[in-house]
Amino acid sequence: MKQATLHPLTSGDNHELHETLFSAQRPWVRVVLALSLAAALTTFVVTLVKPDVTPPLAQTKVLKFISWQKDEPGNREWWAGIIKEFEASHPGVTIEWIKVARNSYADTMLTLFAGGKPPEIVHLAAVEFHKFAENGWLEDLGPWQKKANLDMSKWTAIDSCIWKQKLLCVPLLYSGHPLAYNEALLKNAGVGVPTNWEEYLNVLQKTTLDLNGDGINDQFGTGHETRGGGAEYLRELMIYTLDAGGRFTDANGKVTIDTPQMIEGLRRWKTIVKGSLTPRDLSSAETRQMFADGAIAMKIDGPWIYPIVQKGRAAGDIKFISSPLQPPMGGASNVIGMPSDIPAATKQLVWDFIRITISDQQQSNFASLVGAVPPSPTADTSAAKAKLPHWDVLVTAMQTAAKAGVDRMPKGLELSFNEFVKMVKEEAQRMVIDDLDPTVVAQTMQKKAEALQKQQ
Amino acid sequence: MFDLARPSRRHWLGYLLLAPAVLLVAALIVYPLFVSADLSFQNVGIARLDQPRKAFTTNNYAHLFSSPEFWMAAWVTLKLVVVVTGCCFVLGLGTALLVNQKFRGRSVARLLVALPWAVPEVVATVIFVWLFDSSAGLVNWLLIKVGLVDQMINWLSSTSGAFAAVTTTMVWKGYPFVSIMALAGLQSIPDDFYAAAKVDGASAWQRLLYITLPSLKPVIGVTLVLVMLWVFRDFSIIYVLTGGGPLKATQTLAIMTYEQAFGFFKMGYASAVGIVTLVICVLASMAMMRRAPDRF
Repeated sequence: MKQATLHPLTSGDNHELHETLFSAQRPWVRVVLALSLAAALTTFVVTLVKPDVTPPLAQTKVLKFISWQKDEPGNREWWAGIIKEFEASHPGVTIEWIKVARNSYADTMLTLFAGGKPPEIVHLAAVEFHKFAENGWLEDLGPWQKKANLDMSKWTAIDSCIWKQKLLCVPLLYSGHPLAYNEALLKNAGVGVPTNWEEYLNVLQKTTLDLNGDGINDQFGTGHETRGGGAEYLRELMIYTLDAGGRFTDANGKVTIDTPQMIEGLRRWKTIVKGSLTPRDLSSAETRQMFADGAIAMKIDGPWIYPIVQKGRAAGDIKFISSPLQPPMGGASNVIGMPSDIPAATKQLVWDFIRITISDQQQSNFASLVGAVPPSPTADTSAAKAKLPHWDVLVTAMQTAAKAGVDRMPKGLELSFNEFVKMVKEEAQRMVIDDLDPTVVAQTMQKKAEALQKQQ
Repeated sequence: MFDLARPSRRHWLGYLLLAPAVLLVAALIVYPLFVSADLSFQNVGIARLDQPRKAFTTNNYAHLFSSPEFWMAAWVTLKLVVVVTGCCFVLGLGTALLVNQKFRGRSVARLLVALPWAVPEVVATVIFVWLFDSSAGLVNWLLIKVGLVDQMINWLSSTSGAFAAVTTTMVWKGYPFVSIMALAGLQSIPDDFYAAAKVDGASAWQRLLYITLPSLKPVIGVTLVLVMLWVFRDFSIIYVLTGGGPLKATQTLAIMTYEQAFGFFKMGYASAVGIVTLVICVLASMAMMRRAPDRF
């Protein structure tokens, strides 16, 4: 009777083969077999770890373009148009467009650069650009611009791309924040459109309501970031500090958080958050959706809110006017550049891509597709103006914010920005949670910001 | 000639066949660990492997051990490990005992008990974010409807609320593992033990104390070590739910490592946090293994 557990090579007809291969008279066979198997497995593993990097047979050059905007309505169509134009004018060169989510974007780009494999076309958030610039990872676009005989000195927010006297990127958007309000909710509450802080606060209080009497507020005066990222938190907090006349740093980069104006701005933030005039624990994206669906009465926000509002349930009731809080919040949003350590021929291709992006035609397309004011002063925005009823409000907000030098990135804290925003967020949260006096909070922020500046 | 057929050398074939796997493991685990340890002794912002090594320094460790943030993260991690592991043990053992009984629908009950384990962590966490939402979350709505509270609790923007939310989510996600392991252990206990105990007049409580728990000790020991290590290094639940906030109330060592590396671009310092976390994990595991019975 055969044993059920016999090895295949020791049973039946295979026995002879086994004897041939593994008999003591032929020890070399075992060694060769074992080494061959080990080599084959190692080769397989190495192939898995390092895929074949040989370019395809066809003479195609691929430029990698990583962006978080691939699925964003408006931006998606705009980038697709640029890629199409570039590929049409550069036969044999294709753009590999990859989406990376916004919340993991900086990590991914950092890892790619640190690993020496950056994408050829570099798309970054304006607030993240400085770390990459400081490490020498970005090409100086000044000579390219000069060679192309381009004058970009009048581009909005062009200063945000200059680092150590070099132009290391091109701004793609600088925006100011108008006030979007739900006309029906304000009418129901018997209040008019606010024109200053006091009126604004009054409208917030009148429109924050428990509509069905279950003890839970169903409608809020406004909506702010209270959960997600620090940069968004800072942006929304600054709406109030700017109106109170406060700035985190002055024009020379000196920290100015403990001023009476900043203290007043923090007090306003506390009034709104602690008074539950905004829903809590939500990200700014979630509050935008609530506003679009008619659960929030007013929202001071950038032009990106318009496409969201258009798809919301309250689209017909929402109007845009200049913000009652001045100067309006605003700032550079995102930038484009190229890595410094790629071959010269590739740099030329990337520059061609950037040229298309900043061309008057694509800047005009940006205005009508994205619904925001392009940074180029020479772009024709008549199509966007005809399409968007609030176009003039957007232009005014952008120009006013730019004139006032408003930006999320405080001068002098560029290299510690992430730590700075986290510190501001935590201290502002502490003010609300522990019911602290804004004066004390401002003093704490001042000390911590100065310490961050020293360690830069 | 080197003869692998000789009985004394037969094990060499095994080593040769294992070599690729060992090399792969070394490349994927040992090398990054070495790089991380090396980085922790350098003042590195953004690490690049093609750059020359920076000067040796112990500043990262000196800064770490003098930083209140590190001690707070260590304290939060310890609290989370104790609370989550304890709750997972009680809930997991309880549900295992329940679904080990014979009753109608037992298969469905077992499936339901194991279900949270099958749900991806991020998906589960997003569900809990909705549940704990301070403005429109189900938890607040239920508490108000039942009359336990008269106003909304700011679950994710208060320190104690955020810790409770993180703990609840981790327990929900982690207890099925204990339950599955304990159930497997329960099924290996011979029925004769219980029958004999019943004959001797042992109550249900006594049978649990003197038969079930001692018999389950080896299984429970391994399971608790694994749960503890999971809580120690878990990142996604906390990151998605609270991001480590508010006021660092849920910032564990794992979150701190990530934030220092990818938020503040301090790779050297982040590596030091990671290495200290690793050492704590190894020491904690060894301590638990030593306390376990021989069959462990």
